[in-house]
Amino acid sequence: MTARLPERPGEVIDRSSSLPFRWNGGDYTGMAGDTIVSALAASGVRVLSRSFKYRRPRGVMTADFNDPNCLFQVGDEPNVRAAHRLLEPGMDTSSQTSWPSLRFDAKAATQALSPFLGPGFYYKTFMRPRFLWPVYQRVLRTFAAGGKPSPQPGHSSPDKRYAHPDVLVAGGGPAGMMAAISAAERGARVMLVDEQHETGGYLRWSDSDGRLALADLRTRLAAADVEVLTDSVVFGRYDHNWVGVMQRSHPQGERLIKARAGVLVVAPGLIERPLAFEGNDLPGVVLSGAARRLLNLYAVRPGTRAVVLSANAEGAAAAADLADAGVEIAAFVDARAGETVVRAKGRTGVRSVELTGGKTVEADLLVTATGWTAPTALLNMAGVVPTFDPESSRFVPGEMPDDVMATGGIVGDGSVADLLSHAAAVGQEAARRSGHKAVHKAAAIPAAAALAPPSKEPVELPTLEPEPHPPLFIGSTSGFIDFSEDVTTKDITAAADEGYRSLELAKRYTTATMGPTQGKLEVINAGVAHAIATGRAIAGMGTTTWRPPYAPVSLGALAGRMLEPVRHSPLQPYHERVGAQPIVAGQWIRPNHYGDPAAEVTAVRSSVGVIDVSPLGKIELRGRDVPKLLELVYTNKWSKLAVGSVRYGIMCAEDGVVMDDGVTARFAEDRYMMTTTSSGAAGVYDWLEEWLATAHPDWDVRLTAMTDAYASMNVAGPESRALLERLVEGIELDAESFPHMHVRTGTVAGVADCFLWRLGFTGELSFEVHVPAGYGLHVWEALLEQGADLGAVPFGLEAQRIMRLEKGHFIVGQDTDGLTRAHSTGLSTLINSDKPDFSGKQELEWSEADSGTMLVALQPEDPAVVPPEASQVLSGNTLVGRITSSRMSPTLGRSICLAQLTQDHAAPGTVVTVHLPDRTRVRARVMEHHAHFDPEGSRLRG
Amino acid sequence: MLLIDCPYCGPRNGSEFAWQGVPSPRPDPASTTPLEWRRYLYEEDNLAGWVEERWKHRSGCRAYLIIERHTATNEIRAVRLLGGTPL
Amino acid sequence: MSNKGARGRLPARFSAFDLMRRRRSWPQAWRERDLKSTYDVVLIGGGLHGLATAYYLATNHGITDVAVIEKSYIGGGGSGRNTAIVRSNYLTPEGVRFYDRSVKLYEELAVDLNFNVMFEQRGHMTLAHNDSSLRTMRWRAEVNKLEGVDSSVITPSEIKQLAPYIDVSDHSRYPILGALWHPPGGIIRHDAVVWGYARAADAAGAHIHQNTEVTGIDVEQEKVTGVTTSRGKISAPIVVNCTAGWSSLVAALAGVKLPIVTRPLQAAVTEPVQSFLDPVIVSGSLHVYVSQTARGELVFGASVDPFGSYSTRGSLDFIEGLAGHVLELMPSLGRMRVLRQWAGLCDMTPDYAPIIGPTHVGGFYVDVGWGTYGFKAGPAAGESLAQMIATNSIPELIAPFGVERFAAGTLMGEKGAASVGH
Ligand SMILES: Cc1cc2nc3c(=O)[nH]c(=O)nc-3n(C[C@H](O)[C@H](O)[C@H](O)COP(=O)(O)OP(=O)(O)OC[C@H]3O[C@@H](n4cnc5c(N)ncnc54)[C@H](O)[C@@H]3O)c2cc1C
Ligand SMILES: [Zn+2]
Repeated sequence: MTARLPERPGEVIDRSSSLPFRWNGGDYTGMAGDTIVSALAASGVRVLSRSFKYRRPRGVMTADFNDPNCLFQVGDEPNVRAAHRLLEPGMDTSSQTSWPSLRFDAKAATQALSPFLGPGFYYKTFMRPRFLWPVYQRVLRTFAAGGKPSPQPGHSSPDKRYAHPDVLVAGGGPAGMMAAISAAERGARVMLVDEQHETGGYLRWSDSDGRLALADLRTRLAAADVEVLTDSVVFGRYDHNWVGVMQRSHPQGERLIKARAGVLVVAPGLIERPLAFEGNDLPGVVLSGAARRLLNLYAVRPGTRAVVLSANAEGAAAAADLADAGVEIAAFVDARAGETVVRAKGRTGVRSVELTGGKTVEADLLVTATGWTAPTALLNMAGVVPTFDPESSRFVPGEMPDDVMATGGIVGDGSVADLLSHAAAVGQEAARRSGHKAVHKAAAIPAAAALAPPSKEPVELPTLEPEPHPPLFIGSTSGFIDFSEDVTTKDITAAADEGYRSLELAKRYTTATMGPTQGKLEVINAGVAHAIATGRAIAGMGTTTWRPPYAPVSLGALAGRMLEPVRHSPLQPYHERVGAQPIVAGQWIRPNHYGDPAAEVTAVRSSVGVIDVSPLGKIELRGRDVPKLLELVYTNKWSKLAVGSVRYGIMCAEDGVVMDDGVTARFAEDRYMMTTTSSGAAGVYDWLEEWLATAHPDWDVRLTAMTDAYASMNVAGPESRALLERLVEGIELDAESFPHMHVRTGTVAGVADCFLWRLGFTGELSFEVHVPAGYGLHVWEALLEQGADLGAVPFGLEAQRIMRLEKGHFIVGQDTDGLTRAHSTGLSTLINSDKPDFSGKQELEWSEADSGTMLVALQPEDPAVVPPEASQVLSGNTLVGRITSSRMSPTLGRSICLAQLTQDHAAPGTVVTVHLPDRTRVRARVMEHHAHFDPEGSRLRG
Repeated sequence: MLLIDCPYCGPRNGSEFAWQGVPSPRPDPASTTPLEWRRYLYEEDNLAGWVEERWKHRSGCRAYLIIERHTATNEIRAVRLLGGTPL
Repeated sequence: MSNKGARGRLPARFSAFDLMRRRRSWPQAWRERDLKSTYDVVLIGGGLHGLATAYYLATNHGITDVAVIEKSYIGGGGSGRNTAIVRSNYLTPEGVRFYDRSVKLYEELAVDLNFNVMFEQRGHMTLAHNDSSLRTMRWRAEVNKLEGVDSSVITPSEIKQLAPYIDVSDHSRYPILGALWHPPGGIIRHDAVVWGYARAADAAGAHIHQNTEVTGIDVEQEKVTGVTTSRGKISAPIVVNCTAGWSSLVAALAGVKLPIVTRPLQAAVTEPVQSFLDPVIVSGSLHVYVSQTARGELVFGASVDPFGSYSTRGSLDFIEGLAGHVLELMPSLGRMRVLRQWAGLCDMTPDYAPIIGPTHVGGFYVDVGWGTYGFKAGPAAGESLAQMIATNSIPELIAPFGVERFAAGTLMGEKGAASVGH
């Protein structure tokens, strides 16, 4: 049974096309230009879905994006707005609520359940017996509305775009088009966004005068310099006119546009409001706009015999269109004359309509034109407080900030001419307010001579006021207020009676407005029903909160491409080539090992190894006052650091908590190089800048971030000197000329301007070589090549971690935590309380006697047991600390640890119990030194 | 997304700036007491209204700025360099 | 429970049977009362904390001359805006003990209040993307076990089994190395908790005054004597500040300055889809967490906004970052759509732990600093606070959370477990 009409003058379908598609397993065809739902309607389908709670049959109601009954699964995409989405050949579509089947008449079943399913019913039941609650939970979850999310990855979205329009117009109906045209004619850069597939708003489905006006507007718009985005939506206005636009029509999928708008012009028109009465959700009950869209855009006849309930001109126009299309008008009910509809009757669709006075009219279509909701969402997001105007039965905008304006139906009613003259003035004024650089633009565009200059004085806006409209919200019988949530008038009343006397509470209790329509259809009726139930004036129902997004936006488009950088050292090509095992360390991806970390340790301890330490933070400091800054940020003494020397230091925040550590070298009188932990580099840089900017702007210190300027490699092991001697020019490497903790500059493997310092985390004789980054790989490869006969190997982070633990060096953030003050690291000698001031000094002084825990070296009594890091340490049954680091030491052939213990358990020789994650326990002894290996440091100094 | 008019860089997105809150003066380290110091470290006025805060143009020129912002509306009415150094 | 308790007669009992049988409408869950000029206890803030305290004052201690003063509607603050995660897998033993008490109370709450708060203990999973967060997960698991709380570290394949939509394959940037798995954790219907307590507190005799704002706190000689409200003055010897995001402003009325900054915390929900995700998933490195409600919506949250503010308008950056991070975890969800975003105000303390107890103003107590994690705390906080007021001594459970810890420089160490996974 086809419902497709002969050609209609404004139709948007291509009759020469035939697009096959599937719906609920059956085969259908539509035409290009059809939406999925118009194609189904043309094929005579009436029941499109089942409702969420009562599983009632539902059909087309608004025939646009907001249609609550037309959320389909399309392929692997859930919740597609099928009354908006254009049909594509081969689409596989289905309705989402499959139980009971669409055809099955479940009215009896659902009605029996309805007293049970009233507002907040789940709060009132399933409490006992408690053990059944998990079962109830599972059953309740099967009721979830909506489609199925895809389990398959792989939907990429196009890259996001930034835009800087002087004027951004939300809504491409006649008013929005005119505002855009007039702003552009004043030289503003204008973006016009409309949700529909074409510009024109309601003119698209109106009469021949409307179509003429539209054709004229389209011509002018095309001539004006306006960027037009259709099938797109302005979904949010955020602080400082940061505006989110979702361009659904982008060929590669939804694309997010972030616009910093000079002025946002809100011109979304009006949304038609349903009336609440019994049976108002039956298939065949449609809004006047829906009837006209189906008839005039898609040439679909929505029924054969209609009752039209009309409170405004749109109702009359719909009746005329219906009659014109051959639909019999069984009754025209004029609400302005006090008549109305009492209820619609039928099972899977309207069969008859009961009118005031008890008269029942047979009909398969009931068209209602009962008023409007002003979609003020974007205004609310801008802080505007719309007020309810009882005369016109809708909200009107309140006071606006300078950078937001409104025009069109949201402001008031009138002829097309009235709307256009208001919109033209708004467009001019928006252009003026945006303060755009019209002069520049005029010079750039040859045709710009035709542009009028922006006005200097504020543009006077003609008045545009809403017309009076009868207050039609809630009928005399209880009907649906929220179609996607199955909330009725009765439910709202019940909620108010139960004490939910603020509208916000009632909405939450009944879930009205919480569903996929986001309140667009139901918010006024819910407010009115609640005002009536609480005995308050409708006018005082107050504004409602509209939260972004105005229309649902996809995660994929919001996400765009993942733009979180990963950092690699300049030596990465080598690591990749040899297949190093990577590890993530903050932003850095580093080699964890090259196959066998224990063997790497042995190689370093017995001959020589090289590790890539490029991620080490490096900051160059220059200027007269650098020593003062170092004194302030490190806990130890710095003023006497000689040129050519390197010193280790700990940095504390002002609460005495350790924040970073590292070394600083003095290259020359006024030139220093500081290193930080890899993850602390950016924070330390900020920290130094902050002291300089806020406390000592007079100091002569300049900072340069150098981390990426150098490739850094530590050459460690007894043969490190022998190896470097083969490659280094201009630096004496013997212990006397180049002692431990000193720095030298020179040439390495032919690369000039390298600097070397003697120090390292491993405890071996070691030289850290810093090479201008571009030559890093060359030097690294030269080291390995030249060291081959010495047994030189690359070693990774894991071997270094083992060796540093053997040496008892702590890692900030692993062996310390957010409360560890410097004394707890056991390095009190590095805290110089003679200095007049340094960051953390005060707290360290006050807490010296009791700084909570202490970092100690621990050795399990059973040398084969390595307690996992974070194992808890007990004494008796009291928690006294935790293992912060642990490894099997290849050098010592036993397990070794660092631990944070309370001070009364930190004395050397104390035996504590370590509680392992597998619930076994091991006893462990506190060692005298942090270093498990070579506590005197003789190897290092060699 | 705030729009902050950096005296050096001009109007830039708020995400380039790091918020540092309302600065409180650092007590004299020589004479301070634990109570005074910890008030400095931890206590906040946390006003709802116009405040003068410190921000840093972290992903820009790295200047430290004093910004007058309304903490209930996020409106910004003045931006200047910390210390008022003339440009 | 103390036998002095005044468990009120509920206006009507709820059960499936009553639901089927009832033909008339239900009686009011709570009543609108006249504002009296004196009360024994004034609780400022009609969120979960104020209401739970009123309930336990009455039921555990027989103190019913209590007013809850709420400037808008009950639950209009953080209690109606949170993402309703309940768990006890914290890091410090003090934290774990406290939150465990709350979880225990939550498990009984539906029966206790005769109001189904829909506590769904579907498990709580915190992912570790690098070895340092894996270490923190193990730390939490170990402390939890010692406190008798069910937590353990699980492997990627166990993760995949519990949440099949998570991509545990090799990622360069955010590999999934393991997770902290906490079976008793889950989600709850936050509004139901608020309403359930309000209904039971009202039945027990407490007065709930909505649309009433406290505009002044009267203090004489360092002791509180009452409050001034938009509906008149009340004298009361005990006044408690339970105003979360507004707590600095309310404390200032009594001349008390707090170590708190108010920061917005945002959240978002998607359109509903059929249920596919059981546990709550948290990723600290990705600053995001996700759960699926019984209705089928995905609920997302993240860390607090990058600057302090009392604005609850929300930002686009938030949903962009969120979407990116969610898709990093569950790449197949790109076509799900965000339906609504919102923000609430969080009272952040420097150490991510609350401030509960007396202040230097006699009779003026605070129950604040609940930041991004105070919903799960409501029952235990209310119970302890009621005990403190009734006995005039500080219960052990909340002793670690006094405001004096800041002056003493002995902060709590809860940041690692509280900054993202609220
Ligand atoms: C987005 C978001 C997600 C969150 N997620 C979680 C989570 O998953 N798990 C969790 O445990 N916690 C979470 N939280 C935190 C949690 O919501 C709060 O910590 C908790 O709700 C605080 O409850 P409350 O009763 O103390 O405060 P609120 O619920 O905020 O109540 C305070 C009340 O005080 C009122 N008030 C303020 N000033 C006055 C005055 N002068 N006079 C009278 N009344 C006044 C306010 O109107 C408000 O209703 C989240 C918070 C947010 C914002
Ligand atoms: Zn700048």
